[in-house]
Amino acid sequence: MRSRGLLMTVLVVGALGGLFAFGLLRGEPDRDIPSALIGRPAPAFELPLYERYAPEYGPTLALSELAGRPLVVNFWASWCAPCYDEAPVLQAYWREYQDTDVVFVGVQTQDRGKRAEGRAFIEQFGLTFPNVVDDDSLVSVDWGLFGVPETFFVARDGTVLDKHIGPVTPEVMDRQLAALLR
Amino acid sequence: MGGVRLLRFGAGLACLLVLAAALAQPVELDTRVFAIARQLRCPVCTSESVADSSVELAQQMRQIIKAQLEEGRSEREILAFFQARYGDWILLDPPKRGLHLLVWVLPVAGAAVGVGALVVLGRRWVRRSQEPVAVDPEDVARVRSELEGRSP
Repeated sequence: MRSRGLLMTVLVVGALGGLFAFGLLRGEPDRDIPSALIGRPAPAFELPLYERYAPEYGPTLALSELAGRPLVVNFWASWCAPCYDEAPVLQAYWREYQDTDVVFVGVQTQDRGKRAEGRAFIEQFGLTFPNVVDDDSLVSVDWGLFGVPETFFVARDGTVLDKHIGPVTPEVMDRQLAALLR
Repeated sequence: MGGVRLLRFGAGLACLLVLAAALAQPVELDTRVFAIARQLRCPVCTSESVADSSVELAQQMRQIIKAQLEEGRSEREILAFFQARYGDWILLDPPKRGLHLLVWVLPVAGAAVGVGALVVLGRRWVRRSQEPVAVDPEDVARVRSELEGRSP
C-alpha cells in the first residue's frame, strides 16, 4: 500500500518534470506554426516599385497583374541579417527560372522610411526580380507575417501553397519550385 | 437681464462640454484601441501583446485597429480580421472551442478534483480521530498502576 503511494508520487513528479523539460527544450515553437493563409487566395496588394524595375513593370506593381502565374513572394527588411544570407539564393534561382512563367517578387516590409537602405540591399545582391516597398507594413499584416524573412509560394490559381519562415535555402527552393511548376 | 445672463452661462457651458467631448474622444478611442490590442499577440515579439510592444509591426497593428474602430467596426470584427490572417495564434485568450477548450476547462476541473480530495480526506481523518483506539489491556493496567502509585 505504502510502496504503491510512493510509485504514484514518483510517476506524477516524473511526468510533470518531463513536461517541464519538454517545454524548455523545444525551442521556439511559436514560429513554426503553419500560415493561416495556406490554401486561401493570396491577399492582393499594389505597392511602389524600386526605380530600377520601372522600365519593365511601371511605377507600381499590383499582384493582380501577375494573375495566372506562379509566384514566389519574399518579404525582407534592410535590418534583417538572415535576409542578407538568402538574397543570393533568391537571385540565383530567379536567374535559373526567369524563363519559366514563375515570377519572384521581393517586398521590403517592417522597414519604414528605409528606402536608401533598401536600394543598397538590392544593389548589393544585384536583384533583378521586382522589389516593392510596403512602407506602412499593411501588406505584412494582410499576409500574416511573423517576421522577416518569410517566403510565400503562390500557385497559378492564386492560392497560397506554402510559406517558408526564415532564410530560404537551395533545398527549400528546389522543393517549392517543383511543387509550384508541377 | 437675468435671462441674458442665463443664456450666456448656457452658451459657455455648451462650449465647455463640446470642448471636453472633443478632448475626450481621442482618449476614449485610444482606450478602446488598447483594450483590443491587449487581446492580440505581437507577431514579431516574444510573450508580448500588441498593446505592450513598441516594435514597428505592433504600432502598425494599433493603427489598423484605430482605423477600423473609426470605420465603425466592432471589437469582434477587428479580432476576426487579425484571426483570419494569423489564425488562433494571434489571440492571447484562446477561443473557447475545440482543443482550446482544454486550457479553460482543465484548471477548473483540477481545482474541483483537489477540493473534492481535500474534503474526502479531511472527513476520513476526522472520522479516524474519533474512532476508539484499541489498546492492549496490559498497557491499560500498567498505566493505571503507575497513576495509582503516584497519587498521594
